[in-house]
Amino acid sequence: MNGLKLLEKAFRLEEVERIPWVPFVGVHGGNLIGVDAEAFLRSSKHIVDGIDKAIELYKPDGIPVAFDLQIEAEILGCKLAWSKENPPAVISHPLNEGAELSSLKLPTENDGRIPVVLEATRELRKKHPELALYGLITGPFTLALHLLGTDIFMKLFEDPDYVNELMEFCAQVGTKHAELLLDAGCDVIAVVDPMTSQIDPMSFETFVSPFVTKIFDFVRSKKKYSSFFVCGHAQQNIEVMCDCKPDNISIDENIPLDFVKETALAKGISFGGNMKLTSVLLLGNEMDSKKEAVNCLDLGGKKGFILAPGCDLPMDTPVANLQAVTELVYDDYAQQVTREMEHSSSLQPLSLDGHFEEGKVVVDIITLDSASCAPCQYMVEAVKQASIDFGDKVIVNEHKIKDVEGIQMMMALGVQNVPTTCINGKVEFISQIPRKTEIEKAIKKAMN
Amino acid sequence: MNELLNKLSNCIEFGKINKAAPFPPQMKGEDGADEITRQALDEGVNAQDVLTEGLMPGMERVGVKFRENKVFVPQVLMSAKAMSTAMVHLKPYFDSGAAKQKGTFIIGTVLGDLHDIGKNLVAMMVEGNGYKVIDLGTDVDTEKYLNALNENPGAVVGLSALLTTTMANMERITKEIKAAAPNTLVAVGGAPVNEEFSKKIGADNYSSDPQAIVEFLNTKTA
Repeated sequence: MNGLKLLEKAFRLEEVERIPWVPFVGVHGGNLIGVDAEAFLRSSKHIVDGIDKAIELYKPDGIPVAFDLQIEAEILGCKLAWSKENPPAVISHPLNEGAELSSLKLPTENDGRIPVVLEATRELRKKHPELALYGLITGPFTLALHLLGTDIFMKLFEDPDYVNELMEFCAQVGTKHAELLLDAGCDVIAVVDPMTSQIDPMSFETFVSPFVTKIFDFVRSKKKYSSFFVCGHAQQNIEVMCDCKPDNISIDENIPLDFVKETALAKGISFGGNMKLTSVLLLGNEMDSKKEAVNCLDLGGKKGFILAPGCDLPMDTPVANLQAVTELVYDDYAQQVTREMEHSSSLQPLSLDGHFEEGKVVVDIITLDSASCAPCQYMVEAVKQASIDFGDKVIVNEHKIKDVEGIQMMMALGVQNVPTTCINGKVEFISQIPRKTEIEKAIKKAMN
Repeated sequence: MNELLNKLSNCIEFGKINKAAPFPPQMKGEDGADEITRQALDEGVNAQDVLTEGLMPGMERVGVKFRENKVFVPQVLMSAKAMSTAMVHLKPYFDSGAAKQKGTFIIGTVLGDLHDIGKNLVAMMVEGNGYKVIDLGTDVDTEKYLNALNENPGAVVGLSALLTTTMANMERITKEIKAAAPNTLVAVGGAPVNEEFSKKIGADNYSSDPQAIVEFLNTKTA
């Protein structure tokens, strides 16, 4: 099934055969093709190349075209500070520096970097017709904060009429931007409004809900899907976010996934997230990433859940970590192995003293359990078949990692995947079931 | 306790700036932090008492509510604004030495990072709890922290970061401050930072919210 169709099923809360995976590749795409964040976000060619590379490496079901929450702000007069490793930061707030709200104009397809993103969207649409393309817009509250600065928090109380007027304008900007992105070929509009994590549910309902709901209604009227992204400590607002009727809400590690699942599903809305960005995907290793992903998959379940990182991936996120997540998404056995490995951090590798015998070849097969894992079963059978002719010169051991000892043996032999066959302690066959002749050849080589 | 100081605490807790302020609705038309502070000083209440018995208990209550997710940033900022309005009246007493702040806190967002919302919130809360705050702004490197430390010996230094990429700078700056001024306490905070990271880089404190850093400072200066 293609990625878009799979995501649509998740949005509609239908049971899926495999949980969809949407890596939020932003400036990390620049890293994949060797350009810095600024060059990447300023060039449609770089965006297309970077996202293309990410699609090749991570086999996603959906992917954002450009993860950049400064596009609208820049057009509306905010100054940006560019960086080589991060998206730019907004460093000035025009409405706090004398500009009038009435002087601000809605953006068009020719303004600022919108043409760059639209061009990249059209190109990626042509190349990947079956993949869900996410078009990102800055959520109205975050955009209002870009325009007015932190004064907006006090204006909620001191001048609510002005905040309403500003939010109405920001929602119009978002709707216009969404329309341009949908027309260029996006399938999903993600309204990214991280700053709402800083306000309470009542302020949210008063100042955010009426406006952001209009954007979601608009996307629905175009027969497309929407997602509401928030990050930070926003647990208090999950329920009111759902009441705005997006098709999906996506959160980061600051909010427990099971809480979001319960709240969103009760409201009939799909949900996504929330793999740990920094401590695991950026700074952890492949096994950490797999464990994190399997935890999310198990908590999220196959109805209405989309696996994603908590926010856009840091530029230097190791490719291997994200590929480890990809492997897990597509491979039920890899998921089972990871679950078994959950306890491995407290274990020591098994001692191999006395394990090998002079004049004999010892074949160790690490399996999940050949009785319940088909590839494991075939590998064990293939090795046993190939060993018969060698008689007692070859000893075949199966180590099931469902047992603690199996995991310890896996660690001792340095095995990463299951099933894996080792001959005299050396990894020979990983995951694939070798032909009988290949196994015989490897055993003969070990005899000499 | 002085009835006026009680009222002042309420104004700070609920963010009532002055009589004209429409917020909070339940205090509409009443005197705010501005008028009450003036009145207390005019009636001869000790400036130190205005700070420690009027303003600080209000700020502490809002800090606790923030930590317990009962109020959020907008309400805290209203309290901080009420607080700073009151502090204007107290400034001459601090300058003359008639009233004393609890200590000095130097804060800045580390080099490479231009995000200031979290840092500003912490600065306001710490100031509201009776400390002198030196806000160095954003994109701050070691030298600037050290200069501020020279001018304010014994101050605690707070480093803020939002970006994962600036965490490395946080580590370097912490080490450089510790090397140049070994007795200085360094506190860190910000979205990507956690307790484990704080320990790893040799910082003295990680706070996940502004009230926590206030409590840390209170334990070090009390």
